[in-house]
Amino acid sequence: MFSQKNKKKSKEIIKKRLNDFFILITLCFVIILLNLWYLQIIRGKEFEQRAINNCIRALVEEAPRGEIYDQQGNILVTNRPAVNFSVIPAEISNYQTLTDDLSSIIPIDSASFLSKLKNLKQNPFQALTIKRDLEKDKIVAIEEQKYKFKGTLLTVQPERKYLYHNFAAHLLGYVNEVSEEELKSTTFDNLIGGDMVGKSGLERYYDSFLRGEKGRKEVEIDALGREVTILKSQKPVAGNDIYLTLNSELQRFIEEQMNGKKGAIILSEPHTGKILAMVSYPDYDPNIFTQQITLKQWQEIAQNKDNILCNRTIQSVYPPGSVFKLVTAIAALEEGIIDINSSVYCPGYYKVGDVTFRCWKETGHGSRAIVDAIANSCNVFFYTMGHRLGIDRLSHYAKLMGFGESTGISLPAEQVGLVPSQEWKRKTFNQSWYPGDSVNMSIGQGFLLVTPLQVHNMLCLIVNDGCYYKPYYVERIVSPSGEIMEQFEPEIVKEIDVAKDTFRIIKEGMRRVVESGTGYLANIEEMKIAGKTGTAQNPQGENHAWFIGFAPFEHPEVCITVFIEHGGDGSATAAPIAGNIIRKYFQLKYLQIVKG
Amino acid sequence: MSNNINSSRLISGKSFFNRYFRLVKHIDYSIVFLALGLCILGLLIIYSSTHQEIMADGTTQFAKRQLISILSSLLICFLITMIDYHEVAKIAIPGYILSIILLIYVIYFGKEIGGARRWIQLAGQEFQPAEFAKIALIIFLSDFLSRQKDKLPDFVYFSLPLLFAGILMLLSYKQPDLGTAIVFFAITLLIVFIAGIRWQYIIIVFLTILSLFPITWSLLKDYQRNRLILFLNPERDPLGAGYNIIQSKVAIGSGGFLGKGLFSGIQSQLKFLPSQHTDFVFAVLGEELGFIGALLLLTFFILLLWKGIRIAQEAPDLFGSFLAAGVTSFLFVQIFINIGMSMGLMPATGLPLPFISYGGTFMVSNFIGIGLLLNIHVRSIFV
Repeated sequence: MFSQKNKKKSKEIIKKRLNDFFILITLCFVIILLNLWYLQIIRGKEFEQRAINNCIRALVEEAPRGEIYDQQGNILVTNRPAVNFSVIPAEISNYQTLTDDLSSIIPIDSASFLSKLKNLKQNPFQALTIKRDLEKDKIVAIEEQKYKFKGTLLTVQPERKYLYHNFAAHLLGYVNEVSEEELKSTTFDNLIGGDMVGKSGLERYYDSFLRGEKGRKEVEIDALGREVTILKSQKPVAGNDIYLTLNSELQRFIEEQMNGKKGAIILSEPHTGKILAMVSYPDYDPNIFTQQITLKQWQEIAQNKDNILCNRTIQSVYPPGSVFKLVTAIAALEEGIIDINSSVYCPGYYKVGDVTFRCWKETGHGSRAIVDAIANSCNVFFYTMGHRLGIDRLSHYAKLMGFGESTGISLPAEQVGLVPSQEWKRKTFNQSWYPGDSVNMSIGQGFLLVTPLQVHNMLCLIVNDGCYYKPYYVERIVSPSGEIMEQFEPEIVKEIDVAKDTFRIIKEGMRRVVESGTGYLANIEEMKIAGKTGTAQNPQGENHAWFIGFAPFEHPEVCITVFIEHGGDGSATAAPIAGNIIRKYFQLKYLQIVKG
Repeated sequence: MSNNINSSRLISGKSFFNRYFRLVKHIDYSIVFLALGLCILGLLIIYSSTHQEIMADGTTQFAKRQLISILSSLLICFLITMIDYHEVAKIAIPGYILSIILLIYVIYFGKEIGGARRWIQLAGQEFQPAEFAKIALIIFLSDFLSRQKDKLPDFVYFSLPLLFAGILMLLSYKQPDLGTAIVFFAITLLIVFIAGIRWQYIIIVFLTILSLFPITWSLLKDYQRNRLILFLNPERDPLGAGYNIIQSKVAIGSGGFLGKGLFSGIQSQLKFLPSQHTDFVFAVLGEELGFIGALLLLTFFILLLWKGIRIAQEAPDLFGSFLAAGVTSFLFVQIFINIGMSMGLMPATGLPLPFISYGGTFMVSNFIGIGLLLNIHVRSIFV
């Protein structure tokens, strides 16, 4: 009874306290309501104005890409200030009007412009670069009509500058805006549309080193678009500088030699793999890609019949012609088919079944041993070797000498060419391999396809007695603070199993080529040069002219490969150019010694 | 009275079904209506403030996920209504101990988001043990206070709850989650107050807090102190830590009487507001639906709280009263702190707004509360 009463009493207390609690709740709600009234009704207009004026801009400061220097430390590629036109999506009230106003000053593709803006809705304060590198008159025009362009701004950003225009264009490559496919791929993370990336050559291959880190700045602006306060600021970090093994004077000299021709020339040190010059012609000015090029301009370049963007040293394949005879010779010697004294009689033709293969000298060379055969590039001698070797051994030695696979040079989009085999022919043409095919291949014709750099590597292999140095053209990568990020040293990739004596015989033959054979036009007074000419027939037209050589004969320091597309006769076209370049190389070298 | 409960276990299958049917029939649907009304309002606001992300890529569909949370919460709410709330008393002690374990676990192994370890990954879902701890604390305190009534000396009877809550407060403070610690404290104070603590004790408690303030201050983390200072004077660092409060006030203020309309709030749509679908959801509502919208929201809330208080007053026993009062306090504390924070009346502590803010665990704990209220109400009719 007592507890019952107690319970009732405590229930009463709880009821009362709950009433008090509800009074507290009501009080709190009244406070909230009064506050709301104050904020929304009494000060509503003021806050509304504040909300409209309230604006933050996120500005990106582009990082200057790393600079590129030649072997002597001369600057080749740098950056220049350019004025870019950007918009801040959040501040634009009407895109269509903006597009119309803008197109009266600068030609823009309004459809892609609008889709670009839509993509950036996620981050509406982020300034988006619409047009890069405006000309002076356009800048003035935009400044004059500034009232029309609310929510836009002109910023000064670093833009790539190739100081010597076409100079070494294919090796250096070019930069352009990142494409949508590239954005989707994983190679370019933390990039957004409108960013510049390397598209070819060194700019592409070493893009991650060159690119640097973008800076960011968040600022609050007033209703007139003036910066009021800097909220966050992060300075851009410049990309790393790259020092090349390239000798600019030689490169320039070679480019002059190539003027008006098409083709490729490579000059390198056989004992290190360092590339001193690498020329592909015709060339282009990578600066044009820095300014936003129109679709039409792009099509003009891309559809150019001379294919100027193609780096002919590695991105185009050709039949090697007679320079391949060296591979056939190595195979024949190694396989014991002949020795240095074995001679073959050349009547001017070679018969396989019903088919007659002709020597370039219709009257024939008579009886020749291997050194003479190389010197005079006797077809019949090598036909005989090819026929006896057969395809399996021929293609084995071709692969051993580096054909049909990547050279390992740090450049993008390298072609590997083609070394045919029985199986390949069956798969491709559904035909068996004929002995005639081997005969054809023995002189570098037929199905065989190679890049000039592969031919050059074969040359270096011979000069180095089978030791393969990886070709390279970047000496070191240096951070903006001067710290060496990477230092590249000569790197032996492999040593092939061919007798030293074989190489000695080949080199003797090559010396004879220049001394008294097909390559006599490469001869210079100052120096003993050794080499091999090639004249490659091709279905596209005039023959391709080849010359590979090295100097000095006794202690080789430099290897050269000259390839002139549709240049005609190797001995007449390519050999003299090679001679000139080697002379230039030694002139420069001794000049430097005298200077030093 | 207690016979009634026992006999219910003996009744036949048919009458069990009848009883079940009667339960469903007598549920106070006005409470369900109020809670769902709030949820729908919340969904609109969440959709409005996050639809840009949805358009950009289909992966972060906040509104859709919130809808799923609401529906599953409703189911849980219904299940809880069906079990007699006296059964709930059985999990009072285990629930409290489990809360302590989970809060310790989360400090060491929890998933860190934004500098605080508050989440546990469970079967691919993330959930915040602190939200369950709130409910567990309410059940535990109600059980304790109803069981020990008139058995312990007053001083012990009223100070032990503060100690129980103190352990949870310390643990959530460690996460660090100052907001949740404050909620534990406020709920406990309110329950103790409702349990009839004498005014002199209340005065003693407040004096103790005031005298402890210097010590508490030294225990606070730098950012927490900053928030308190900025709460007092947000303009002191308008672009730094005070930024959120100012932007939130500007958003609410610019809404005016009728608001800018859904999808049209300048502040909300342009992401000036931080955490706009969670902690600052009221600012979005204030900007886009204006004074009218906020008034509607507050009306729903106060009606719901009033319902809670009525249920507490009419509960068949002390446990029911405390439980209903606890749930009501929990909702009230969350509402007041969240809205107060958005308007600069309270320090920014990062607490969500019941039924409105985005977040699955919180929605579930809200509906567990609603389930308990419905449960107590239904039983009070049968008695």
